[in-house]
Amino acid sequence: MRNIRHGIAQVLFLGALASTQSFAQESIKIGVVTPLSGTYAGVGQPVRWGLELAAQEINDAGGIGKRKVVLIFEDEEANPSVAVQKAERLFQVEKVDFLTGMVNSGSTLAVGQLGERNNKLVSTTVSFADSITGDKCSPNVFRVNARAEQQSNALTYWIGKERPGSRVFAIGPDYEMGRSSVAAFKAGAAKNKVETVGEVFVPLDSKDYSQFFGQVRASRPDTIYTSVAGNDTVRLLGQLNEFGILRGVQIVGSSGTITSQNIAAVGKASEGYVTGSGYSPKIDSPENKKFVAAFRAMFKTDPDLFAADSYGLLYAYKAAVEKAGSVETDKVREALRGLSWQTPQGQKTIRAGDHQASQSMYIVKIKEGQFDVVGQVPADDAIGPDVCARF
Amino acid sequence: MHDRQSRVMRTNHVLMMLFVGGALVSSALGIASGDTFYLRLGTEALIFGGLALSVDLLLGYTGVLSLGQALYFGVGAYASALVLLHVPSFSLAMIAAGVASLVSSILGGLIANRVRGVYFTLITMGLAQVVAKIVYNSRELGASDGIIGIPIIKIGLGAASVSTADPAGFFLVVLGIIVALYVFLAYLLETPFGRVLIALKANEKRVPFLGYSVWRARMVAYVLAGVIAGLSGALYPMLRGFVSPELMFFMTSGNGVISTLLGGTGTLVGALYGSVLLVVIKSAVGSWTEHHLVVIGLLFMCSVLFLPRGLLGIVHPWLQQALSRKPPPEDVRRHVPISDARS
Amino acid sequence: MGMIDYIQFVLAPQVINGLALGTAVVLVALGLTIIFGLLDVINMSHGEFYAVGAFAALSLGVAGVNFWVLIALVPILMIPLGILVERLLIQRVFDGKDRHVSTLLLTLGLSLIIEDLLKAVFGPNTHSIQAPVTGALELFGVIVPNYRLLLIVIGAAIVCMIAFVIYRTRLGAVVRAAAFDRNMTASLGVPVAWVYAGTFALGVSLAGVAGVLLAPLYSVFPTMGRDFILLAFSVVIVGGMGSIWGAVIAGIFLTQVQALASLVISPVWTDPIVFGTMVAFLMFRPQGLFGRLGHA
Repeated sequence: MRNIRHGIAQVLFLGALASTQSFAQESIKIGVVTPLSGTYAGVGQPVRWGLELAAQEINDAGGIGKRKVVLIFEDEEANPSVAVQKAERLFQVEKVDFLTGMVNSGSTLAVGQLGERNNKLVSTTVSFADSITGDKCSPNVFRVNARAEQQSNALTYWIGKERPGSRVFAIGPDYEMGRSSVAAFKAGAAKNKVETVGEVFVPLDSKDYSQFFGQVRASRPDTIYTSVAGNDTVRLLGQLNEFGILRGVQIVGSSGTITSQNIAAVGKASEGYVTGSGYSPKIDSPENKKFVAAFRAMFKTDPDLFAADSYGLLYAYKAAVEKAGSVETDKVREALRGLSWQTPQGQKTIRAGDHQASQSMYIVKIKEGQFDVVGQVPADDAIGPDVCARF
Repeated sequence: MHDRQSRVMRTNHVLMMLFVGGALVSSALGIASGDTFYLRLGTEALIFGGLALSVDLLLGYTGVLSLGQALYFGVGAYASALVLLHVPSFSLAMIAAGVASLVSSILGGLIANRVRGVYFTLITMGLAQVVAKIVYNSRELGASDGIIGIPIIKIGLGAASVSTADPAGFFLVVLGIIVALYVFLAYLLETPFGRVLIALKANEKRVPFLGYSVWRARMVAYVLAGVIAGLSGALYPMLRGFVSPELMFFMTSGNGVISTLLGGTGTLVGALYGSVLLVVIKSAVGSWTEHHLVVIGLLFMCSVLFLPRGLLGIVHPWLQQALSRKPPPEDVRRHVPISDARS
Repeated sequence: MGMIDYIQFVLAPQVINGLALGTAVVLVALGLTIIFGLLDVINMSHGEFYAVGAFAALSLGVAGVNFWVLIALVPILMIPLGILVERLLIQRVFDGKDRHVSTLLLTLGLSLIIEDLLKAVFGPNTHSIQAPVTGALELFGVIVPNYRLLLIVIGAAIVCMIAFVIYRTRLGAVVRAAAFDRNMTASLGVPVAWVYAGTFALGVSLAGVAGVLLAPLYSVFPTMGRDFILLAFSVVIVGGMGSIWGAVIAGIFLTQVQALASLVISPVWTDPIVFGTMVAFLMFRPQGLFGRLGHA
């Protein structure tokens, strides 16, 4: 039963054949366990696209060490139990050399543990929970995307510089990730002399945020920070707008709050939103322009953060394997540690101590539905200390 | 007791032996081919089969549909995980899971058993949802990320020991536990208490007139089902090395119900066949399309509409016939097998 | 915060917003209570019909149909869908002993299918619909968006209309009679099967109109059906299965409880409170506030 994703691998293979490259040895298999159905399918799709584009480019240029790259996709339904099951299939039955694609942090952590038990390396390109390269770090888990702390540091740095003396009201989703992102923001804001005048935590999937607006209005903030995501963002911002609370107020938040998946639905309420992000399609660099053009040509839409990070991952892997001269886990792990490589977002370096990629962060402001870049924060200022103690 | 019910159970035993036989053959094949993935997938199917078993105890025998068994499955899983994080002892983990699910199902039962029928179902669904949300938000329980880092342990069985990382070994251990649960339930159903449960399903209003307490019988059945779900859940972190709140979500309970219905309500063994079938379908369909829920939904609906006794219901009657020592009594009144889920 | 400030900024808005949310919940629960009260059918896919209504509004809206027209059009379009579901699916399990269980399971399967189909056709991302009126009114310093006021008014109108039809018209009498005693009604020459199908369709189209009305507020996405289902069932149970006024009062009451509770305790505990209220009713007054429609 050939599935659609195997079909894509076939196309890549044929494409590679057609470009008169002869591939020695068997191909390098990379497993991708990503949500292709369910609530996060909108994130799984750009991840897939970013990887596919990179794989095609790499194969067209001769593959990794003369071996072609083959991507094998599995749907994790954003459920860690399913992710682990599919990942195990990829490790044991398909015998992939490397695994990526996980979106939510629960899945990344669980699959990372599985990677340890199967002596294989995995990387996430989306999960931004600090714990993944922090207190729950693993010698087999890498992360090429910016984590929450980097996003938050970039944002508070910008607020401190551009809007000193702001009064911020924080609205966070009431779960672990939400609470820690608000806490990180408050800490960073305080360091940059910005006052947080109030906070409220709203249950996930709340339909109606109007019940919290009283508190918001009573605090009379000039800036609102939020770390909700997906549908919640559409509703929160839509309702804030409906009640006129957004008038004269600067909205800031985490980079996952408004993404290409929900920006259309958020509509006018997204105007002026500022965040600290690892990417914007408007980054003005030759690598990015090339990437955006190639992405548009292949998928008829602009790339986003998830696509760019996934694209970058494959190149990191390529660099590491070529440096190590093999796909063997221990050698690749060594090669990845401290690796610096070029990505559409500039140069990224993987910190050896915790396997977290460091990069300059961009301050992105939404203007007319576009993610404009209005500032940049150097990599070292954005990334926090290495708190990984396991290795 | 030699009545229609015991004849039905005898058929179930035969089907169970077939199931176990099939499982043993597959594990032999697995060992021979050095497979790990399919053995572990099968182990997972058995673990969720235990959950389905608890659904069947309530739906097929006591006549009540619980849409919240995943709650106890999750409680067992978390209890087991928490124990294993600190003490790598199989028996301690199982005992902890058993106690935790016992206590929570008593509490749950006190709330849910005050009502019957669809209200019972809604309460069980609501209970699971509410507790799952609380777990999802509890930092001590790992919050939305769950708990990882459950170590691989060794299960001591007398002289030998089996590691939970050993695919075939652990598969056989889990198989053994599920068989033990089945045997226990089968034995229970042969006792007068078991017959009271069946009477509850057949006609709850009449049972008090026979001198039995409906509430007491339903409480015991509910708690038993909760403990069975909890013990099965305890095995999950041993297999996968982690637990997450999704184990308590509605979809998990839903899968249990779907497995039971597809396999055949009221047969106990149907729950196990159904669970395996569901895993196979999800795996197979999941490879060709993302929209596997449509397929599963359709299968489920067809099962409710056309195969009320599930897939096993196709073979059950003639197997029963073949096994009975005398032909079924010709009676003026219309005899309907008690295990018929719908009449 | 001073007392006046508290009332102005917190309490009053809470109550008014609770009212708007309550109207939404009442509309969804109304269809459910009619289906349960009259047909004795548990419709687990009710939330998905709410979603279908919203998506229908989305696609027709994109095609240029005016929002006001949609409020009437979408429910009308959903009637044949409801009739189809009732005749093809529900009828088959209707006469079994375990009607509640089988309809519950059947509609559960249906909900899986509908949700996945919506995802397949419209994609997993969120869409939004512009509200037909924007802007907000300021009453004594309390800001109330105009659309929400409109929602309360339209919702109340729909409820009154339904109540009128069911309690004051001949059609309504026929429907109630069919619920009360099917065979007797049939023997009086009423095409009971069609009455049942029509009632189901009515319930489903009420869910659909709720979807249309709420879409500008709560946005449109494939899993939106799950938003309301537990709350809707709670309302139906607390209000009394089949009771229209029960659904209204319970809907408003429960949403107020939820809104006001979130002021004093962490919002994550409001769900258990609502659920707890439902359980308490089930334990101590299982017929809810007002009992069954057919047995008013």
